[in-house]
Amino acid sequence: MEFAFLLSVGVSNGCLYGLVGLGLVLVYNAQGIPNFAHGEFFMATAFAAYVANVLLGIPYALSVLIAIAFGGALGVVVEFLAIRPISTNRALGRASTEVAVVLSTVGLMITIKGLARIPWGDSVRKLPGAFSTDTITIGSLIISTQRLLIIVVAVALTVCLSIFFARTSLGKKMRATSQNTTGAKLIGINTGHIYSATWGLAAICGGIAGILAAPIIFLHPDMGTRMLLKGFAAACLGGFGSVSGVFVGGLLMGIVEIFFGRYLSTSMMDIFAPIIIIVVLLFRPQGLFGTRGAARV
Amino acid sequence: MLSILRNNVLTLFFIIVLAISFTTDAYSQYLINLMLVYVVVAQGLNLILGFAGMFAFAHGAFMAIGAYVSALLMNTLGVPYLIALPMAGLAAAFVGCVIGIPAIRVSGLYLAMVTIGVSEIVQWVLRHWKPVTGGTDGMLVASPTFFGVEFSDDFQSFYVIFVVCALMTVLAQFVIRSRLGRAFVAIREGEIAAQSSGINVARTKVFAFAISAFYAGIGGSLFSLTQHYINPENFNLYQTIMQFCMVIVGGSASLIGPFIGAVILTWLPELLRNAQAFQEIGFGLLLIVFVIFMPRGLAGLLISRNILPRERFSRAARLRKKPEASTSVVVERP
Amino acid sequence: MNPLLKVEGLTVRFGGLTAVDDASLAIAPGQIRGLIGPNGAGKTTLFNAISGLAPIAAGSLHLSGVDVTSFSAPQRAAQGIRRTFQTVQLVQSLTVYENLLFGLHSVARDPFTAFVVGGHAQRTNVDADRILAEVLEYLGMSDLQDRVVETLTIADQRYVEIGRALVARPKLLMLDEPTAGLSPAQLERLDDLIAKLPADWDVSILLVEHVIPLVVKLCDRITVLDRGRVIAEGTGSEIENDPVVQKAYLGERLDA
Repeated sequence: MEFAFLLSVGVSNGCLYGLVGLGLVLVYNAQGIPNFAHGEFFMATAFAAYVANVLLGIPYALSVLIAIAFGGALGVVVEFLAIRPISTNRALGRASTEVAVVLSTVGLMITIKGLARIPWGDSVRKLPGAFSTDTITIGSLIISTQRLLIIVVAVALTVCLSIFFARTSLGKKMRATSQNTTGAKLIGINTGHIYSATWGLAAICGGIAGILAAPIIFLHPDMGTRMLLKGFAAACLGGFGSVSGVFVGGLLMGIVEIFFGRYLSTSMMDIFAPIIIIVVLLFRPQGLFGTRGAARV
Repeated sequence: MLSILRNNVLTLFFIIVLAISFTTDAYSQYLINLMLVYVVVAQGLNLILGFAGMFAFAHGAFMAIGAYVSALLMNTLGVPYLIALPMAGLAAAFVGCVIGIPAIRVSGLYLAMVTIGVSEIVQWVLRHWKPVTGGTDGMLVASPTFFGVEFSDDFQSFYVIFVVCALMTVLAQFVIRSRLGRAFVAIREGEIAAQSSGINVARTKVFAFAISAFYAGIGGSLFSLTQHYINPENFNLYQTIMQFCMVIVGGSASLIGPFIGAVILTWLPELLRNAQAFQEIGFGLLLIVFVIFMPRGLAGLLISRNILPRERFSRAARLRKKPEASTSVVVERP
Repeated sequence: MNPLLKVEGLTVRFGGLTAVDDASLAIAPGQIRGLIGPNGAGKTTLFNAISGLAPIAAGSLHLSGVDVTSFSAPQRAAQGIRRTFQTVQLVQSLTVYENLLFGLHSVARDPFTAFVVGGHAQRTNVDADRILAEVLEYLGMSDLQDRVVETLTIADQRYVEIGRALVARPKLLMLDEPTAGLSPAQLERLDDLIAKLPADWDVSILLVEHVIPLVVKLCDRITVLDRGRVIAEGTGSEIENDPVVQKAYLGERLDA
């Protein structure tokens, strides 16, 4: 039964990594940059839920909605304030613009982290779980309800996003913009709105992961950065391409990590993500499933 | 007279720093030392980020390698600092090469992720390889001895740091004005045109990695002299981000930039001392504001206002006859 | 006489698309060779394949008898194949002088830099300043040498690009639509320059150009490319009267 238990932990962790990775992939596909501030959406949204639910006493479900709205708004705002002025600056060459945008996400990363550290840097905090019962028993397997929720929400969200990109007008416009920005502009797509939507959606993905993870891991201003690397690893495994690819990448990452940690070395779990990133990018930059060239043309 | 100053700002900088060092208290001396260390490190980062346009996120880790290698050589093997220092630089450069050779296969910004991964792995090794690195407890650093004299306090180690910083500056200027420095700029501006001019892009990139890591390694070793004690926390992501800030605020792709950045930003965290939150916000906002409003940094501003001379990428220019004096003419008043 | 550049059966494929198909041509020393063809004929791809920027799927490339097929772009540059670009590829923030220095990379001073940036190590102690002064003088740009490139006109930038190639004393100079964006007066000045280059610099020229009358006037021989294949080769008047060429250009006026 230990195997089944570990599997449930690995799968639910993997779902979180997949959700975080998904947000990274959205921004990467739209603008060709790794978003180093993405882990902070995870952290900030979790803290928003904490403030609403624990500090203000708002009911749990409403707190979650408020937190998600906050996370999405944060994504839109930081894109508008810190990313757009650079990407529309014609004075820089293309290469310099990309480097500048990445530096700006790095700046955002530590600014947001610093802001959270002022009130909450001293100790760790905890957000209660979504359900009053902590565990349920299926046969002889005891599984945490929160982990079950993580799996259900992550699968549902991945399916929704796949449909969103395939069917809806906004989703199609986002895909068009990521494939050919100039072409998208020419057919009348307001790429500014698309970037806002992309960042908002990316932040929501990271934020939902944050809210889901918060009851399991402790809340701390540094919680986002560690998650960022795991999200990168999931996105690398998935090849920075499709929504489902990242999700599978995250799952794989979560499952292998937990068994690796259990049977080989617990301390090695911390560098599992960076090792995955390096190995995948160097030897199979198109990811496990991709066939496309690594470079974004 | 003014134009002589204008063309020798860095010489002036070193003279002023030397002069100030005779009048400082111990704490100011410590900060001056730290500032010179950051000048060295930021110069190294500027070579790869500013001149070669490659996004490397591992300079905190390269610094750590330099600091630990020189400390270990001195502590356990009793190697003199004169040898330990270059070994620190070479060890970092070696690791830089090892990362750089495969990393050139991944294009552009994938590099950022590979290097951040490397930086995490180095952190992990420092924390977990307790018998050698002392883990999170860190390790004490022996004071260097030159000709039987121990350079233990900040006033004494200043001379070591000062001399090394000056030498590294001369080396940076040499590199920038050489074929290699121009090759860095060429690959930043366009790899295709660079190749067609006969530049081997792959090797140039590996070399940019190596030389930049060499600077970080030397800087890390000097850093350990200022602290007398090192631990993994000294070289985390925050360290790397602070160096980004120095290069961007000072002015990337400019020799003077890292000086301006290091002078300003060494004092800032001291003002915000013991308040990690405010340091993070300060550095983060500076980084964002500068990349948005002044991407060429303060040096770029001074150059565009013609207060500083523009960066030169050739040595020969000095030997040539001046085309004609549209440059500053100082009128003597009667 | 042995050709300076011999291209045999050159084929370039991108995925399923064959951009250049079994192309052969030979350029004699000192010759100006025109390369024309309708849009999408593969001129630029052939150009890139010769300079080492596009992968060669089949065929061979010889420069002065040396097989350079497997050479990388910088190695071919070091062997003496230099080019310009359709859109000017200079470092805009550097001066004319510094941009010309880029051309000297493969004539390194010492084995160490040669190892790092590429190129020969044996040609030591090249006096860069003298070479650059000579080229600048020749192009009539001596007074512009300390100007930053972004402040120059497009015409002057094109001269700098040609200068960057000339400083390396190339054997083959490849010009990719050098007249794009020039006024008629500037165009005439550039014509005269190109016409003089082979004699003055002991160089062969491969010229891709849209302005057909210019190609006919300048070039000793012209190669016509259509859909990746060489469909004709000959002197200017032969090409103008070739029915195959006219058919390929149907809808495009030859005398435009």
